[in-house]
Parts: sequence; structure tokens; C-alpha cells
Amino acid sequence: MMELTFSPATGLAAWREALRTASLLGAREARTALRTPVYILSNLLVPLFFYLVMVGSFETFASRSGVTNWEAFLVPMAIIFAAQGGSAGLNMVSDIESGYFDKLLVTPVNRFSILIGAMAADFLRVTAQATLVLLMAIGFGLDFATGVPGAAALVLLSGCWGLAYSGLGFAIALKTGNAQATQSAGYLFLPLMFLTTLFAPREALSGWLGTAATFNPMTYLLQGMRSLTMDGWNAGDLGVALLATAALGSVSLTMALLALRGRVR
Amino acid sequence: MAAISSAGIRPVRAGARVPDSRHAIVAEGLRKEFPGGVVAVAGVDLDVRAGETFGFLGPNGAGKTTTVRMLTTLMRPTAGRATVAGFDLYRQAHDIRRSIGVALQEAGLDAMATGRELLTLQGRLFGISPPRAERRATELLELLGLVEAANRRIGTYSGGMKRRLDLASALVHGPRLLFLDEPTEGLDPASRQAVWREIGRLNRELGLTVFLTTHYLEEADSLADRLAIIDRGRIVADGTPGSLKATIGGSVVTVGVRRERLEDAATAVGRLANLRELRLGDEELTLFVKDGNGVVADVVRLLDAAGIVVGSVAIAEPTLDEVFLRATGSRLEGAAQNGGSST
Repeated sequence: MMELTFSPATGLAAWREALRTASLLGAREARTALRTPVYILSNLLVPLFFYLVMVGSFETFASRSGVTNWEAFLVPMAIIFAAQGGSAGLNMVSDIESGYFDKLLVTPVNRFSILIGAMAADFLRVTAQATLVLLMAIGFGLDFATGVPGAAALVLLSGCWGLAYSGLGFAIALKTGNAQATQSAGYLFLPLMFLTTLFAPREALSGWLGTAATFNPMTYLLQGMRSLTMDGWNAGDLGVALLATAALGSVSLTMALLALRGRVR
Repeated sequence: MAAISSAGIRPVRAGARVPDSRHAIVAEGLRKEFPGGVVAVAGVDLDVRAGETFGFLGPNGAGKTTTVRMLTTLMRPTAGRATVAGFDLYRQAHDIRRSIGVALQEAGLDAMATGRELLTLQGRLFGISPPRAERRATELLELLGLVEAANRRIGTYSGGMKRRLDLASALVHGPRLLFLDEPTEGLDPASRQAVWREIGRLNRELGLTVFLTTHYLEEADSLADRLAIIDRGRIVADGTPGSLKATIGGSVVTVGVRRERLEDAATAVGRLANLRELRLGDEELTLFVKDGNGVVADVVRLLDAAGIVVGSVAIAEPTLDEVFLRATGSRLEGAAQNGGSST
């Protein structure tokens, strides 16, 4: 057998190595997701069901609130439901519980690659789900204001939001190492989805609900998404949406990194 | 199963440090204290030589797993120092991870992957190129008799197959030092024997240093060149199995006596001429004698004269259980059966 002769990579090589291993681990996560289609299907069917029910039931109510294109107004809701429906971090908890996470920790893989790989897989999951939801909505008669490039931008924005949001799930997964805690934490964030303009325009929200919506980053994400689906290209609305996503992302990623640091030496 | 080949396993990098090849593990005063003041490992010294199979024997909760987790860089010690595969535990953790193979108590496997996928990914994570990682996976699947199950999901494997796959994944990058934490825990006797054969073969044919934790006496006795016995976070005895048993010397006589007559029985047999040591158990006396010839008759005669009913008498050559009993005052087999969480 050959001699044990190693030196850890440094500088640019270290970054390249971290990216390489993150992509390997991301591909593994994606493979696991594809092998549990029921998980993807439920994340797809529930938002689509909500979308169709809301479109069919509240169009008259919406027009009274001044919404002219109700389908285009609602489609970001379905996409966000799809993005946040899956409990990010559950696969990681399963790895922690099975001991596979420890197996990864005794390889020379950079610790952050493990997290980044899992988050990248979540980004792929959300963009795939957003694309499917969007295609189905178009099939049901959605009129999209910014055409194919706008749809691509919407999917990308959804992916970024999904990535930012998933950091919270990974933080809880790494902190607790417990599936139930991670899953219930997903429900904790559910009310945030209703304290915003998900189902009604901002003008229709009064009192404390209006105030809560002002401080909810999702409000600004929806503003950007709806500019794409309803109005046309608007750099200001898109900028605000990206900023809100970046703000959530920096908080959630910091939490996830701290949780990771707490779990590994 | 296939012949072992190690050619082409090891990716070598330039500008490397060459570790001390004589000592696989050296630890001094290794200690782990958890929040709340629970001391799992209370200062362990180890010197594991390259190429040997070193047994780390102790009951559940003795500190075996915690020691392994510290030595494999999964847990930071509270105090003490160590070198593993020639690298410093604190400053060169990355080098240690490249140099060791680890199969922990819970076979850490991805149930959704196939055996081949798991091994190939493991190789890729160690920097092996895709074609070489594929070849290496095939080689290890052959080595451990898993070729037929290679493309099945691991979730469908039996306990024994999972253990063997875990062992294979620990060998992907061709480590020189292999940590096996309770490698046969939960296996049936036939699977246990199969794993023992593999460990022995890896040690003999690849020259791997094996650090093996176990609470099975037979496992330590048959596999370990040298061993350390750990109890309550401290090493209470170490040496070769033969030398440890030789410290007991002579024979071991176990006498079953009712609990309320134990003290009287101890006083009665205390007059035996060749008695070296006497231990009181729950409902038994253990006598360490210099020479077993005629001792059973003498014991029965003395107890009978004292009016004590003898439930059973057994004479045997010393085992590691007696070594453990002498060092700690309790039997390892009883302690192992009592269970408890692994620390």
C-alpha cells in the first residue's frame, strides 16, 4: 500500500474542492428526492389544488378589491406554497439519525460543503416545482405578463427564495437532529405566509394585518413576483424582492452555519 | 470473495508530510467531560502500534465510543493530547480524516442509495477520480461478498450486509488505520463470525492497523493482538490477551452460594492454601487459585464443614472476564448484559 502523504488544499484549490464535493452531495440529495416521488407530488398537488380552488371561488371578490388578473395574482401563492411545503432539512435529520452524517464528517470534505450541497439540492427542487406549477397554471389559462423570459425570472426568484427559506429548516435540523422538531418547525413558519399579501392586495389588508405585512419579507417577494406575472418588467419591484430574499437568506444561512458549527468540532 | 488488492487506491499529493509509521495512535490523558459534569472519559493513555489489531474492551457506557469519536475527530476532547496516524488531533484533523477508515457503532449508510452508489460517492469524496472510484467500489463489493446486492438499495440489506458495506465504505480510500466501533453489535453468530474473518484478513493481508471496540470478551480475545480494558472512563488493564490472563494465573473457581451465607463462605474458603484472591459476587464467590488440582474438593469440604450449602462449583482457566473482574470488582459479561447507552 502507498504511503499516507497528504496536505490539505489551500486557497483557490480549497474553494474548488469545496464546490466539487458540494455538487457531489447535492446530486446525492437530488437523487434521494427523485426516489421519493410521493414527497415531490404532494408538494406539487397541494399548491395546485389551492390555486384552482381560489381561482374558481374568489374571482368576484378579488375584482371588487381591484385585482384585474386574479390567476396571475394567485400563481405566486401556489409557487411559494410549493417552495415552502417541503420541510427542508428532513433528509439531513435522516442522515444524522442513521449515522450517515457522521460518516460524512470523517471524510476530508469541508463541513460547509455538506450544508451547501443540501441547500443546492433544495434550490433545484424548488425551481423544478415552480416550473411545474407555472406550466400547469398556464395550462389552466394563466395569462403571463412578461412571457417566457419573465417566467424564467419568476422560477429563478422562487428558487432563491426557497434557498433562503431552507436555511431555517437546515438550522433546526442541525440544531436538534430530530425529525419531528424539524417538521413541526415548518408549521411554525406557516402563519408568516398568511400575514402578507398572499391572498389579497396590500390595500385590502387593514389594521394589524397591514402592519404585519409591511414587516414580512414575503410581501416584497410577492410584489416582485406579481410585477412579473401581472404588470411587466419593473426593476424596482424586482430589486425589492431580491433584497427581501437576500435579507432572509443572510439570517437563515447564518443560523444554519452556526448550527453546523455547533454540531461539528 | 475476491483477493485483496490495494493497487491504485491511494491518491498521493505532493509536498506531503510523512507521519510516524511506528505508532498508529498515541494518546495521553485524553478526557471528555460533557455539560453537567458527566465525565465519559477520565484520562485515557493509549499506544497502538502500526500493524496490530488493538482491542478496546469494556461494558456499555465505559467510554469506548466517546474515545473513538475523539480519536476520529468527531468530538473535541476536553483535555489531553493525541496523534492519530502520525497527525496531531487538534492541528491536523484534516490529515487524520484522510488517513483513517471509520465504521461506527451505527452503520452510517444511506438507505436510499445502492451499495455501489454509496461506495462510489465515498471514493469521490476522498478525491478519487470517477473511473477509479467505480473500479474501487467493484473491488470492495467483491472483497466483501456484496456483488449480487451491489445495485440494490441499501434499505433492503440485512444487518450483516449493512455491516460489511459499512466496512467496505471505511476502506474505499485505502486507509492504514481502521476504527471499528462495536463492529458485530446486533449481528447473529454466523454474521459475527464472517465479520471477524474479514477483520482478521484485512489486518493480515493489507497490514491495516485496527482499533476495535467491543464488549464481547470472545471478540477481543480472538481478534486483538493487544487490548486495553476500560471501565468508567479509565483504562484498568492493558496488554496482550495472554499476558492479561497470565496475571490471573492458575485457575478460577466459581462457587454458587446463597446471598446471606456469602460472608461465611468467604471466611471458610479463605483458609485454602493456594488461594491468591477472593471476590464476592451477587450469589457467588470467585476464587483465584495458584493451582486448580484438587481445589474443588477442598472448597466443598471447607464449605460443608462450615455448614454452607453449595449450589454449584465450576473450575476454569482464566478468561478476560476474570481480568475485568479482578480490575474492577464486577464481571464484564454482567455489565454488558445490563446494557446502557454507549459513551
